[in-house]
Amino acid sequence: MPRATAGPPVESAARGPSEVALAYLASDGRVAIVNDYGSGRSEARWDPDPASLPEVASAWRASPARTGVGPLDAEEAVEGYGVFTFPYGPISMGVPESGRFDLRTYGERILALTPFVGYKSRRIVASVVGQRPEDAALRIERLAGNFAAAHASAFLAAVESARRSAVPRGELWVRALAQELQRIYNHLHVIARVAEAASQNVGAAQTHALAEELLRLEGSVFGHRWLFGALLPEGPARRLERSQRRELAVRCGELSDRFDRLWELFLESRTFIDRIQSTAPVPRDLAVRWGGVGPTLRASGVPWDDRLRVPVAPYTDLFLDLPHESGGDALARLLVRAHEIRASHLLVEQMLDRWPGDPSVPEDPGPAIAPGRGLGRVESPSGDLVYDVSMEDDRIVAVGLRTASRANFPLFARGLRDGVFTDFHFAWESFGLVFAEVDA
Amino acid sequence: MTPDPLGTLLTLAVAAFFVGAALTPIRRSLGYAASVAGAAGLVVVAVAVLLGGPVTGASWTGPLNDPEALRLDALSAFFALACAIVWLATSVYSLAYDERRSPLLALTYCLTLGSIALLLSASDQVLFLLGWETMTLASYGMILQAEGRSDRVYSAAFVFLAFGEASTLFVFLAVAGLRVGTGTFAFGPTVGPGSLATLVFVAGLIGFGLKMGIAPFHLSEWLPIAHASAPSNASAVLSSTLTLAGVYGLFRLVSLLESPPLWWGAMVLGIGAVSVLLGALFAAVSEHTKGLPAYSTIENNGLILVALGIALLASADGLTTLFVFAVFAAFYQALAHAVAKTGLFLSAGYVEHTAHTFDLNSVGGAAKEGDPGEYAGTLAATLSLAAGPPLAGFVSEWMVLEALFQSYQFGQSWVQFVGLLAGAAVALAAGLIVVAMVKFVGFSILWRPRPVRPARGGATLGGVVGVVGGIVLALGVLAPWTLVLVAPSASVLIGHGVAAPVGQLLSVPAGWSILSGSPFGILSPPMIPIALAVGAAVGVGYYALGRRSPRRRAPVWMAGSEPGRPGETYTSFAYSTGIRIMMSSVLGTREVRASAGPVSVAAVDSVEPYSVDLEVFDAFKLFYESLVRVGDALAAALKAAIMPGRLGRYLAYILIVVLVVVALVAALY
Amino acid sequence: MPSWIGQAVRYGIVTSRYPEAAATDAEVPATGRPPAATDGTVDVAAAAARCPVGAIREGELDRGRCVRCARCLPNGFAFSGPVEAATRHRSELRVGTPAPHGPGLAAAEPPLANFPRSLHVFLVDVGSCNACNLEVMALANPFYDASRLGIFFTNSPRHADVLLVVGVPTEEMVEPLRRAYEALPAPKAVVAVGVCPISGGAFRGSPGLKGSLDEIVPVDLYVPGCPPSPVNVLDGLLRVIGRGRAGGER
Repeated sequence: MPRATAGPPVESAARGPSEVALAYLASDGRVAIVNDYGSGRSEARWDPDPASLPEVASAWRASPARTGVGPLDAEEAVEGYGVFTFPYGPISMGVPESGRFDLRTYGERILALTPFVGYKSRRIVASVVGQRPEDAALRIERLAGNFAAAHASAFLAAVESARRSAVPRGELWVRALAQELQRIYNHLHVIARVAEAASQNVGAAQTHALAEELLRLEGSVFGHRWLFGALLPEGPARRLERSQRRELAVRCGELSDRFDRLWELFLESRTFIDRIQSTAPVPRDLAVRWGGVGPTLRASGVPWDDRLRVPVAPYTDLFLDLPHESGGDALARLLVRAHEIRASHLLVEQMLDRWPGDPSVPEDPGPAIAPGRGLGRVESPSGDLVYDVSMEDDRIVAVGLRTASRANFPLFARGLRDGVFTDFHFAWESFGLVFAEVDA
Repeated sequence: MTPDPLGTLLTLAVAAFFVGAALTPIRRSLGYAASVAGAAGLVVVAVAVLLGGPVTGASWTGPLNDPEALRLDALSAFFALACAIVWLATSVYSLAYDERRSPLLALTYCLTLGSIALLLSASDQVLFLLGWETMTLASYGMILQAEGRSDRVYSAAFVFLAFGEASTLFVFLAVAGLRVGTGTFAFGPTVGPGSLATLVFVAGLIGFGLKMGIAPFHLSEWLPIAHASAPSNASAVLSSTLTLAGVYGLFRLVSLLESPPLWWGAMVLGIGAVSVLLGALFAAVSEHTKGLPAYSTIENNGLILVALGIALLASADGLTTLFVFAVFAAFYQALAHAVAKTGLFLSAGYVEHTAHTFDLNSVGGAAKEGDPGEYAGTLAATLSLAAGPPLAGFVSEWMVLEALFQSYQFGQSWVQFVGLLAGAAVALAAGLIVVAMVKFVGFSILWRPRPVRPARGGATLGGVVGVVGGIVLALGVLAPWTLVLVAPSASVLIGHGVAAPVGQLLSVPAGWSILSGSPFGILSPPMIPIALAVGAAVGVGYYALGRRSPRRRAPVWMAGSEPGRPGETYTSFAYSTGIRIMMSSVLGTREVRASAGPVSVAAVDSVEPYSVDLEVFDAFKLFYESLVRVGDALAAALKAAIMPGRLGRYLAYILIVVLVVVALVAALY
Repeated sequence: MPSWIGQAVRYGIVTSRYPEAAATDAEVPATGRPPAATDGTVDVAAAAARCPVGAIREGELDRGRCVRCARCLPNGFAFSGPVEAATRHRSELRVGTPAPHGPGLAAAEPPLANFPRSLHVFLVDVGSCNACNLEVMALANPFYDASRLGIFFTNSPRHADVLLVVGVPTEEMVEPLRRAYEALPAPKAVVAVGVCPISGGAFRGSPGLKGSLDEIVPVDLYVPGCPPSPVNVLDGLLRVIGRGRAGGER
């Protein structure tokens, strides 16, 4: 759990412009999370003095309940002779979800890109107010289906922190296992989609098949391909027997070997590399200043991962190797994801190997940030995810949420500036953004 | 001699233009009406000459004691016919188009037409030169009638005048050479091969090429039309008939030179190919409703030169069939272009009348709903220039390409190589010009983002465009018979009587097909609409007799967004950006960025607004501008050297001149 | 190139034999089948109290609302319904508790309209969590390979026969959805995939949402699930052209 401090905020050591970043600021301003990329520490502050906080990028604010369609941030203004707006969406087959991109162009070149979100706004954050956390969790895990494990884990952690209720150790290990399996699926899916865009049809089909095998594995172990209900306390009783764990370990090992061979073949294809090299570059200082998270941030040269910097059991006892990329382009983002697939497989092996003998031992969630208010942070497949839950009488009073897609969306828009139309899909798939997370 | 009725008609027709010019201060429409009458008369006489023989009108003794007359022979009759058809259309058009209080436009218009008529019916070179120079001056006056008298208008018109005078200079040189070579100013005697003939040919090529707007002189063509935005009836006359006069001059010159050597043809072919490519390329990236057709004129005149070049090469190599075919191709290209370009400029005038702008990005919807003449005419004109069957431009482009294809017949390999390169350039240009024409007709006529007020006099304007389109179609479908009519003109150029390259093959009736080579290729233009009609009849019959599902109109699919919002549709500029970027090394494409507003410092993730323009540059314009700068600098230096403003120096000049004159007189006498 | 071929040869053919053969357990996980009361001993009242979306009422189980949360399992329900659970009418998704075991799908069910043997599908997401989108897209992967059955996904509604809708309809997507429906040429069909467009799913009753796709466009086929597995979606699409797998129990 993030350590809470009361009273005046602690001055961080390095206050250089691109080393300290604000990871979350609640809409009521009473909770702030500050990351120090220089020292690798993160701290949550209660009632912080606004002047002491780093400059706030718009993406870091808690996502308000979005109503109506509007530009994500300010609209990008580009004028010129013959420049017009090319509205792409909201129903475009290249982007499977509903959302619109307004491209400013004079033909061929993308001069500026403004995402218009809110088409899929289900008002989830507002609709769970007043519910019991167990019922709210049903909606929270369906906020973004392919990140269900991450959202459920973060939300439950925030609730447990707010309630100061102990969690059985087995629960934490199951959450971690679920998250790692979904992380592997998401990374495989991203790589497959980029390969499709580059017309590497055989490679894409092979990678999609690998991802499907993972979904089937999750389905057989947890009963649901997307792990809905798998982590909820009122879900079906779940114990991973030793035989199940052994089988899971064997299958994961096979899939990991297959992916290694596939990835080697991908990297040998010049046409594949050519399409993603230098596409939608995000320089390091832009990624930090604009609040980037996840594989996008790691691909731009900042080695930050919540699993290491904000460790929770079982990650505190496991070995995680961070990738070292700094190109910031689509190729770097894919290299980071490929590395993380292997790293996740290794984590899964370690977890299955050291599975706790007695899963019912309660783990202390740590102090809450304030009475009745808890924070939950996990590293979702697309990056740092923050839940800020306030409770009263065991009912939800307010939920603050900052998702990875919301943080990385502006980087996608900025990265595509001065690109060409054909770069669009490579850029879009390489960031791994989900509109459902932004519109919630 | 007894007055010949046709000769009288010729004299009256040519005089009508000048009479009309004199009448314009009274009423503008009198001048235009006189032009209509003059053009009609010319048509009659020209057709009579082509069917019968040469016609002579009024005759008198010229200033240099040489007999002069108004005379149309087969060669000039062809060009007179083409010009007269154009003038009929533009004069009727001008009746509705010209709404100014000042009669100057009508005056200069009639004078221009009259001077071109004069030079076409000149019986000798002095009269020709007179007509040529008058044409330059009159059209200079016509260009100055652009709306608004800005500096740009004056400077562009001055450039036109400068090029025009340079053209007269070179034509004068050619005429002088011919006089030395033949001893007379009359058209008829020829000059044998030699250095004099080369001098005459090169001077003539430059002089007439300047008028035709051939690269590297194409600045004279597009600058006054696009930059000065000359009125549309003026632009039509400038682009169609002025350049036609240049073609006539070149053809007449070639007819007076015997046995052209091989390298003449190669030179003409090369220059033509460069013009074709340059014209098509700049047309494809032009955003000006008049500039785009002006560049297309450069391309088409280049095609004429390509055909002429093949003809000269074939004649030097002794390939008679190819020679004859290429000559006919050149004639037909000139005719097809003149009529189609007129239609295009008149259409641009209609657009200007309703939209009041020359920018293709803003004129969408110019054609009023239900103006069939404007629609059909513009479609016909643009399709013809894009070489779409069964229009005239298709036939002429086919003939030129066929002539190029047969360049394998040339004996020397370097000639074959030149032919190959020229063919590649023409083919590339054909593709680019399709882009340009589709852009023109699409964004000015077919695309209708907003309803439009009808133009005053729009019915007449649209009607004329429609009629011109019809003529283009007729020229295309009836091409074989047109070629037969053109045969006497071609004979004058070739030097002996020839038959048109029409014949018969398979079961197509005799005289319905054009044959290139013996035969190399064959085309039957009348069969195309017949085949289309049969196919359409089958389709319509199938549709009428078959089962029909109910039809429903649905809005355009814009990925779920609301269609047709302003500012969210493809602009004409964006349509050609692909070409700008692909050919950036030739066009010199570059992006110019400027900051467009204050950067908001409030948000740490703000983005600076900026403005961006994608520009191409014309290397030739740059070249001329630097030439002008060098000339100015030289003149300034010379002036500073010779005219320092010191009285002593000027007194010394007077003394020197007196001494020189005394010495000369003493030496001569 | 040879290395890719080596990979393919080593991996072999994995394509499902559905609908010639029944769906395997690997293809359809436990929650991939709709719920059913196992037998008469089911405690309906207790299950109704625990169901968060109101799918269980006295004597009736509404499969069009079930989000597969499994809270009713201790009370005698199980995910034992047929894989072929798609229905043409909303009322057919409401089954009794226990559901009568009737004859299976008629072998020759006619197609929904004058469709050819192959089907072109256009996907519209009106407000989903992305899980249904991914399950529909999974039909293109080698395991399901919908193109072997003549089912193709198009990029434009103008080329489509079927409008496949996923997600709970939001206010903002009503107009775009109507435009997409208008853009499809007749004959056309609308297939609602997942319980979100059928009844709102987990978000039923949430303010500002339309609640059901029926209110916007006419729906021709309902495929329940949260999310339905690719085999369920495949069954739905095959039913549109009258080639659904026969013999499944209802």
